[in-house]
Amino acid sequence: VTKRRIVAAMSGGVDSSGAAALLAEQGHEVVGVTLKLLERAETGFGCCGSPADVDDAKRVCEKLGIPHYTVDMAELFAKKVIRPFVEAYLSAQTPNPCVECNRSVKHGHLIALAEAWNCEAVATGHYARVEDGRLLKAADADKDQTYFLHGLTKKELSKALFPVGGLTKSQVREKARALGLRTADKAESQEICFVPGRDVRAFVEAHAPEGASRSGAVKDTAGKELGRHSGLAGFTVGQRKGLGVTAPEPKYVVALEAETNTVVVGSNEETMTKAIVVDAMNWIEPPPPDGRVAARIRHRHAPAMATISGLTGGGEHRLVFDEAQRAPAPGQSVVYYLGELVLGGGVIIRRGDRP
Amino acid sequence: VSEKKVAYLDHNATTPVRPEVVDAMLPYLREHYGNPNSVYALGQRARQAVERAREQVAALVGAADVSEIVFTSCGSEADVLAIAGAAWQASDAGKGKRNRVVSTRIEHDAVRGIVSQLRRRGFQTSELGCDADGRVAVASAEAALDDATSVLSVMHANNEVGTLQPIEELSAVCRARGVLFHTDAVQSAGKVPLKAKAWGVDLLAISGHKINAPKGVGALYVRKGVHLAQTITGHQEKNRRGGTENVASIVGLGKACELALADLPHADDLKALRDRVEAGVLAIKGSRANGHRSLRLPNCAHFSFEGLDGHQLVVALDLEGVCVSAGPACSSGASMASHVLTAMGVHESLATGSLRVSLGWGSKGADVDRLLAVLPKAVEKLRSIPAAL
Repeated sequence: VTKRRIVAAMSGGVDSSGAAALLAEQGHEVVGVTLKLLERAETGFGCCGSPADVDDAKRVCEKLGIPHYTVDMAELFAKKVIRPFVEAYLSAQTPNPCVECNRSVKHGHLIALAEAWNCEAVATGHYARVEDGRLLKAADADKDQTYFLHGLTKKELSKALFPVGGLTKSQVREKARALGLRTADKAESQEICFVPGRDVRAFVEAHAPEGASRSGAVKDTAGKELGRHSGLAGFTVGQRKGLGVTAPEPKYVVALEAETNTVVVGSNEETMTKAIVVDAMNWIEPPPPDGRVAARIRHRHAPAMATISGLTGGGEHRLVFDEAQRAPAPGQSVVYYLGELVLGGGVIIRRGDRP
Repeated sequence: VSEKKVAYLDHNATTPVRPEVVDAMLPYLREHYGNPNSVYALGQRARQAVERAREQVAALVGAADVSEIVFTSCGSEADVLAIAGAAWQASDAGKGKRNRVVSTRIEHDAVRGIVSQLRRRGFQTSELGCDADGRVAVASAEAALDDATSVLSVMHANNEVGTLQPIEELSAVCRARGVLFHTDAVQSAGKVPLKAKAWGVDLLAISGHKINAPKGVGALYVRKGVHLAQTITGHQEKNRRGGTENVASIVGLGKACELALADLPHADDLKALRDRVEAGVLAIKGSRANGHRSLRLPNCAHFSFEGLDGHQLVVALDLEGVCVSAGPACSSGASMASHVLTAMGVHESLATGSLRVSLGWGSKGADVDRLLAVLPKAVEKLRSIPAAL
């Protein structure tokens, strides 16, 4: 192995600690970097970039004998990740902030910064693999995070390293334990690092330019009002709990209508969708000629076979599933696979089985 | 972190401990462990060492009398003792009528911190501004001092840009108004002559680790006749500062002061090296120098670069084995305009792209060569990062 200078993005968690450790073990010159993503006033919630996590990252680097630096990207994070996240919820979408964070921050600005520091690559603790410039699912299928990495370009992938992508989570923990890293048994981080206590609604309301809580109707698919809601933000298509309506059958969110400020609920059957409209595509690989893909519509969703139709130069197209899928949510990413290979991904615009 | 050889160009942050200083200290860490306040010979031995150090410190700061030196745990503590000690004492003596403290917008955080503490506890405070070169106008002090003012604190040399202040004139203004004058000389000690008595200052703070003594020791010059309330209570240091004396470090501080005083005539060597840094850096497009062109410390230079982040530049240089700093508050990674540059009216976009290079004992031409060899490329590369926002 030729010794390379590599930035290891370190959140203070076990995965990125393990990634840095593996590279250091291979003899590379590893530069530990923790991104400060939140403004001072918002830290201290146990989210990434909080002082305790920075401290963990520092201590791990000390143990590994590598330097550690903190880089402030709070302004970038606010603009590229937090603001669009809030705006998406306000327009009745369910965003994937991690996708944008990887694209703009970790594999965007940080790669550029690493290049300026004469570093050849940026390593993260993501469970994914890159082989010959192609993005592949992680060896640990249960931990696979390619869903959040589909927004990267070939150029970015050529600078990205995922050292733990070939390992299982427990192997990473074992490695960290063997090296005496203090993060070895650290709890899994929350899905959205910047939302304290997972309270999306409270977060959106606190960050909305003008009040998110416009109360409106909860209706069934026939248009009958079943109750009231206190604001669309925080509802997600497919959601069952917290709808505030009582009905003999379990009710699920079928749609969120921003124009009328309505939550539409229905039976589980009514959340099933045969097709979706997709846009904002990023193709890492060329689209398959026959349009056949395995499509993942949310993190941990088992990819479902589907056919792309009407793909235009602009990227918008319909995706028709072989079998109806439950509750694809507008705003969520959809990622296309061919076996292990990630072809690319885009954003779910709306259901495609109704006009 | 691997111990690679580095070009250390951050002597305003801290300095290496000189071997002579280590040698002077070791006996007081090993055999002469007595408490200087004890009666027996072992204690007397320690007392002699502390008093010898007091002479050495008194000589460096230009005190009239050895008894005017009070040892502290650091420069910050010396500043706090001076300002809080003077403010509390005057407040008590004046039955609350003298409750005003004046400082400047460019002081070190040690001073800014205690001044804001006093403000939160009911003292009136005000801060003098400075011009674009970082100089405080004597007239602004004249205008700011009133009968309620107990103390004026103005640093001798600024830790970021190195600008020197008109200490003697400020001191005269204070004397005329019956106000105590404190100067934080932490950054100027050992770099330019200190003349506490001749200037007529009442209080003057220095720190060990800025002049090749260890961290954790400092001293405050307290002009004879000036009374301060205690900030660390106890009977040591003639009832001025409690706590058993840190004998070995005090010995180290004393030795460092002696060496610094002896080396003062050679300050021009550093200045020549500094001028080479400045010429080399200013050859880079879009760079500018900050701080007064002549009235400043001989050992340091401060720059602003358009279109880059100073913290990221410091990391880039560290990766190439060069230690410099961007500003005092950058360890968190937050690139903010420093309060000093803001007070000088430097635009935020330039202030966040700042770099401080400071030389000292042991600095060599090769260190400067190394800096100048890697800096232009580092600046160019950081500037080429696509604007993320």
